[in-house]
Amino acid sequence: MSRDVVAVKDLHKTVAVGFRRRRVQILKGVNLTVAANEVFGLLGPNGAGKTTTVKVLLGLMRPTSGSVELGVEGLGHVGYLPENPYFYDYLSGREFLGFCARLFGEDAVTRRERVEALLEDVSLLDAADTHLRKYSKGMLQRIGIAQALINDPELVLLDEPMTGLDPIGRVEVKRIIQKLHERGKTVLFNSHILSDVHELCSRIAIMRDGRVIWTGSVDEALAEGETLEQFFVRAVQA
Amino acid sequence: MRQVRAITVNTFRETIRDRVLAVIVVFALIMIVGGLWLGSISLGEQGRMMKDFGLAAVTGFGLIVAVFIAAGLVHKEVEKRTVFVLFSKPVSRGAFIAGKFLGLCGTMAVVLAGMGLFLFALVGVLDGRVSGMVLVATAMIYVQLLTVMAVTIFFSTLGSAILASVLGICVFVAGQLSQNVLQLTRLGKNPITEALSWVVYVIIPNLSAVDVKAGVVGEQTLAWGQIALWTAYLFAYMVVVLVLAAVVFRRKEF
Repeated sequence: MSRDVVAVKDLHKTVAVGFRRRRVQILKGVNLTVAANEVFGLLGPNGAGKTTTVKVLLGLMRPTSGSVELGVEGLGHVGYLPENPYFYDYLSGREFLGFCARLFGEDAVTRRERVEALLEDVSLLDAADTHLRKYSKGMLQRIGIAQALINDPELVLLDEPMTGLDPIGRVEVKRIIQKLHERGKTVLFNSHILSDVHELCSRIAIMRDGRVIWTGSVDEALAEGETLEQFFVRAVQA
Repeated sequence: MRQVRAITVNTFRETIRDRVLAVIVVFALIMIVGGLWLGSISLGEQGRMMKDFGLAAVTGFGLIVAVFIAAGLVHKEVEKRTVFVLFSKPVSRGAFIAGKFLGLCGTMAVVLAGMGLFLFALVGVLDGRVSGMVLVATAMIYVQLLTVMAVTIFFSTLGSAILASVLGICVFVAGQLSQNVLQLTRLGKNPITEALSWVVYVIIPNLSAVDVKAGVVGEQTLAWGQIALWTAYLFAYMVVVLVLAAVVFRRKEF
């Protein structure tokens, strides 16, 4: 049996919002496991708690209660693409990736090789020396994916990786995710595009209102509904 | 340490390429040249006026750059969510604050060196001899502005960029006046106001202690030993403020 790379147990998160610091419970007991080498899809309507769960996994937010465990040795082995990423306006794509590689302490030769390889992988070699403020949304998304992979991570967390991409960009990102899977990496991604989830994921979890309401394989989901979309709608409306 | 260096280089690149910075510097240089006109109507005091006005322009525009960039530096990263990218990597909050500050120190060094050398050359042409004191005064303005930057970064970890800018400017002004206020309240012999001004004097960095502008224009003899000690005090002050900023920032969730 393969080991768990992500283990979330009874995770609760409450935040204080507004001037009167009203307490809002975002996560209400999330339980989730992602096994090594899985491509795992975290689905759910807006506000279900998907992004918050990922943020807690990364330490960007602290859990109110419950636990999260990563089966990798620290953040040095994790890659993350945030939703609607924004990067530094006055850096070029090549400089930005070089900066990210430096954060992991890569030596100059490895850094250069890795940056060039990733720029090629995400089809941004031609725009490598252009400032990021001149990048389109799709290009920013692709440079975001490249920075998430700069450390050759064992676990890759992608928050809405297909957002803003044209059909060709989507094909490229899907190819990258498939390649990561072939190389034994674990991928967890949030997405609203169920056809992509169907195509890429081995297992999925559906979240609603701060809880995981269903977990299983894509085949299991399809056994209960004609399409993944139908199954999803039925699950979140139940 | 590697992370601090990476963030320092990145911050320097990002801020030095900002067009707003270029506009401010060009405007500052125009103002310094404007000192020529003031000098021409000052009856034989052209060189003195040039130095006086030029150093005031270097201070004023340096303050604008220091406060507004420092206030936006941390806040922009949070607002635009680049912190997600940084803190999902093995980067500590302390390394982030240190790297941001050091990167901005580099940018300020370039900005002030540009303005200081321009003024130095202008005074040299006007007086017919070079005055190294203009460069020394610019270096001391740099120390003052680094202190204001550290304080502004600290405030930006607590609240909005606008609030941090306003408080940064307030600290600069108070830092110029705190010593005089303390001396004045001592003359008044009121123990309460004296105690209050003492508290302000301890909390607010004493920036006027390293202000050598009066010495440059020949109004005051400078005690370099004391200035060196006060400079060391300001650097210690910056370290304390930045450590506090890192502590506050470590508690933040994104």
